[in-house]
Amino acid sequence: MLGSLNTRVMLEYLPDIWQGFLSTLMLSTTGFAGALTLGIIACALSIQPVRWLRAPATVYIDAVRATPLLAQLYFLYFGLPRLGIVLPEILIGIIVLSLNSGAYVAEIIRSGILAISRGQVEAAISSGMTYLQRMRLIILPQALRPTISPLIGQAIVLVKDSSLLSLISVVELTRAGQMIAIDRFMPIEGLVATALAYLLLYYLLKLLAGIWSHQNRLPGRA
Amino acid sequence: MIEFTNLNKWFGSLHVLKDIDLAVTKGEVVVVCGPSGSGKSTLIRCINGLEPFQKGRLVVDGFDLGSSSVRLRELRMEVGFVFQSFNLYPHKTALENVTLAPIHVRGLSKAEADDRGRALLEKVGLADRMQSYPHQLSGGQQQRVAIARSLCMQPKIMLFDEPTSALDPEMINEVLDVMVSLAREGMTMMVVTHEMGFARKVADRVIFMDRGAIVETADPESFFTNPQSERSRDFLSKVLHH
Repeated sequence: MLGSLNTRVMLEYLPDIWQGFLSTLMLSTTGFAGALTLGIIACALSIQPVRWLRAPATVYIDAVRATPLLAQLYFLYFGLPRLGIVLPEILIGIIVLSLNSGAYVAEIIRSGILAISRGQVEAAISSGMTYLQRMRLIILPQALRPTISPLIGQAIVLVKDSSLLSLISVVELTRAGQMIAIDRFMPIEGLVATALAYLLLYYLLKLLAGIWSHQNRLPGRA
Repeated sequence: MIEFTNLNKWFGSLHVLKDIDLAVTKGEVVVVCGPSGSGKSTLIRCINGLEPFQKGRLVVDGFDLGSSSVRLRELRMEVGFVFQSFNLYPHKTALENVTLAPIHVRGLSKAEADDRGRALLEKVGLADRMQSYPHQLSGGQQQRVAIARSLCMQPKIMLFDEPTSALDPEMINEVLDVMVSLAREGMTMMVVTHEMGFARKVADRVIFMDRGAIVETADPESFFTNPQSERSRDFLSKVLHH
């Protein structure tokens, strides 16, 4: 099947694939930036002892984790206009990706914070540190290090999830691949070109993760 | 300096501190001992507000811990706490562990804090380990860093919660030596420990607790040689079996 691949057509559509690649890259980076922001806020709320602060975070995280991304996408795509909010598809796409990924990011960071022993917190409290000082100086530096790997994993999931935005006619990688299929009736060429571009994105992320963890080795350890 | 008046504490329905009356004066060294679960750790954890209590009064260095307006953070700056499990910050060097709170809580400059921190680490015999991370240090060394960390805040009171219980036997003395010299310098100390040698050497008083209540208070010599209550005799016979 792959032996009979029409590489000439694939090269011909390279500019479109490249456009799709850039678009997916943009959707993913802005989407993940949004997810980190939402995730950190939701996580900060979810670890508060006061119930009414925790409640909105719990509702958000549960609602996102319990429903499919596609349903969330359609819900906003068809639901927002009914509320009189008309947004460009691309913006809806970024919002959905951020909302969806943010819930998982919140859980990842929360697990890192909960892994810090009570003794660390008590030592910091006993020395007179404020809540924010404890977070900034003691808890977060220890909590975030082990979350980097799962966060990169979440970013990779987000890159792939962004392909669903093709369903609300956002032009990105998957959509660009579909164009080869539609224009030339060559679905496999389109899919292979798309897959190669996703692979490239995946390795870019892996490379970034490697650089990050090299620069942030635990001090005093190899 | 520390004054408990009729203090009571419950964990749910469990009555963990019962009618505690105790006054510790400036410069006094008080050793607290008793069987496990007798409330001795809870007692000293009340002193810096790590544990709340439900009834009675506790005044520490002029701070009334029962009042709603107590500025716990200010109190904690004056009260050092040394944990059984050291609780050093694993991502900071020994020197950074010691200087972190002085810089961020006391507002010392880094240079000032470093000077103070180096002097203290030298004092506890760790001049050559200042740049080491906690995982590179032995238990005894870690606990000495933890003591230096508390001292660097220049507290008025030092609390020790079984500081040698997590240590290998050969490391216990290096920690006790530091505590003995601290006691001799006149620090106000409350120490939860079963180290009878330490108690004999520097304690002004020994308090024996059982089931949440103070059962006996005595000077160390008479406590160890002639305990008054049945329960302390029973306890000592189990601890001093050699």
